[in-house]
Amino acid sequence: MSELKDCPLQFHDFKSVDHLKVCPRYTAVLARSEDDGIGIEELDTLQLELETLLSSASRRLRVLEAETQILTDWQDKKGDRRFMKMGRDHELGAPPKHGKPKKQKLEGKAGHGPGPGPGRPKSKNLQPKIQEYEFTDDPIDVPRIPKNDAPNRFWASVEPYCADITNEEVRTLEELLKPPEDEAEHYKIPPLGKHYSQRWAQEDLLEEQKDGARAAAVADKKKGLMGPLTELDTKDVDALLKKSEAQHEQPEDGCPFGALTQRLLQALVEENIISPMEDSPIPDMSGKESVADGASTSPRNQNKPFSVPHTKSLESRIKEELIAQGLLESEDRPAEDSEDEVLAELRKRQAELKALSAHNRTKKHDLLRLAKEEVSRQELRQRVRMADNEVMDAFRKIMAARQKKRTPTKKEKDQAWKTLKERESILKLLDG
Amino acid sequence: MYHGPRVGRFPHRRTAHRAPSADQTNAVSPYYRTKLRGLYTTAKADAEAECNILRKALDKIAEIKSLLEERRIAAKIAGLYNDSEPPRKTMRRGVLMTLLQQSAMTLPLWIGKPGDKPPPLCGAIPASGDYVAKPGDKVAARVKAVDGDEQWILAEVVSYSHATNKYEVDDIDEEGKERHTLSRRRIIPLPQWKANPETDPEALFQKEQLVLALYPQTTCFYRALIHTPPQRPQDDYSVLFEDTSYADGYSPPLNVAQRYVVACKEPKKK
Repeated sequence: MSELKDCPLQFHDFKSVDHLKVCPRYTAVLARSEDDGIGIEELDTLQLELETLLSSASRRLRVLEAETQILTDWQDKKGDRRFMKMGRDHELGAPPKHGKPKKQKLEGKAGHGPGPGPGRPKSKNLQPKIQEYEFTDDPIDVPRIPKNDAPNRFWASVEPYCADITNEEVRTLEELLKPPEDEAEHYKIPPLGKHYSQRWAQEDLLEEQKDGARAAAVADKKKGLMGPLTELDTKDVDALLKKSEAQHEQPEDGCPFGALTQRLLQALVEENIISPMEDSPIPDMSGKESVADGASTSPRNQNKPFSVPHTKSLESRIKEELIAQGLLESEDRPAEDSEDEVLAELRKRQAELKALSAHNRTKKHDLLRLAKEEVSRQELRQRVRMADNEVMDAFRKIMAARQKKRTPTKKEKDQAWKTLKERESILKLLDG
Repeated sequence: MYHGPRVGRFPHRRTAHRAPSADQTNAVSPYYRTKLRGLYTTAKADAEAECNILRKALDKIAEIKSLLEERRIAAKIAGLYNDSEPPRKTMRRGVLMTLLQQSAMTLPLWIGKPGDKPPPLCGAIPASGDYVAKPGDKVAARVKAVDGDEQWILAEVVSYSHATNKYEVDDIDEEGKERHTLSRRRIIPLPQWKANPETDPEALFQKEQLVLALYPQTTCFYRALIHTPPQRPQDDYSVLFEDTSYADGYSPPLNVAQRYVVACKEPKKK
């Protein structure tokens, strides 16, 4: 048992604010009927008085909170005597102007002479008496068993599983079932944008042009001119890029013939590797003319470029012939594997998602159905409980009658039977 | 007349929470502790309810005041447009001083809930860096007089231009006569709440702090040192003004309301 002098509580004396003295205007206003208004000129004084009341009330609140906290901590650490007695002489009763208002809860307590607690300075001379009483208290006080908390904790942890279903939970379930509206959006596959190499090339070019323009603009500004280069269209950049690409597209040595044609020629033409090509291109080429079909002249001979469709049709005819012969596999593999892999993956995942969400939805439906059933059964169980109570009441009445050594009246018997039958019917409903 | 909602009376609960009159030996036994806790909890709930009602009443009063203030400003603006002569004669000194005093007294007191910190412009807490004073707010403004002297005067904000970052202020004395346009650095907003010494002493200026305080019976701010901060919410600061006419360089302690004391940023007197 902790000694009283260890009690860390300060039993504060909450003095009330005397409304009449401190807040006369406030009291006067309250005394008026509702029809009499409050004059505007009274607002200021009222404000001051209300502030006084509020400050005292909030101070009281703070003190109460502190005390409750101490009390809680103290109760949790029962064996721990380390709480120092907080200034016994500290009286928090402020100057009479501030204090608590009419509700004098603890003043009642303080009013008692030998009141509770040793913290109050007025009761200093009662201390020795208190200690005396302490000794007689000992044998009465039961030795403190640490409160067995485990069952409480267990039941608290199990509670969510066994609790009744509320209507709110059913409603939440219903709401969960609702939104598949924005699903369509999620399933849309966005169209392929520009390939990243093109986009990057474009952006880089734009950047460089901008930098150049900025540099030019800075130079121009000094002379007071704003160059037209500052405004760049993406169209211009595109045109530039295409030009550069077009330049790259042409084979370096300017040969307009398709790749297959060239390969075929190379395979069929006998090359004289020893003699260097550059010195006498013409005589070498002319020597191998007889081999090729339509490739009559080599591009090096010609100064004029070949007409493009001619070479293209030649290329395609050679391709067809080679495929027909089985020398070349038909090239109809899809372009740009990589992107299609992504697409394939995307589709796979979408299918998974659809399946999963459908599964979820069915489960939610089932859950909702079960929940609704359970709710109705709960109601029945509630009725059973009430019926139980009635039966118990009837039973008690009959027992009381029997105690008084008189037979229970017909009314009581009837009532007892009625309640019993009711209960049985509800139970049957429940089980059925 | 203001016909407002009736402030509820607090029920008489004199004996509601009287503890049982057992002897004090059992006072700290668990039973009583629990009982005490229960009583405290009820008391706390009651106190909170009381605080809420009081706050609501105070809010209503603040609302009314702001409406009155708006009306006043609107009337002032309308008055300036309407007539060529000043709308009313310059107030007599005494009337002005009474007005100032009243405004200082009725500055709302900041009473925070437990755990609340006092906001900017409460007592000594400075305004946030980007605070813009609203029209009608009172400020301390540093103006240049005709002879080149700089003085901090009590002024009221008329408007603020975001474009130029300048305030237009009116000297509180002689309305309509002097309208100054000043940059933000020359304006110090006056506090909008009083700090409660009992709950937020950190929102008050401490002893020996350098401040700008309104000299009593004038409308100018001067440098001063805090002599004593207020003890109760309705009290004033007691300050010592810098005054070379006294032997030690400081005047005897004079009282200045919380509303008219602001932090001093000037490093040295000009």
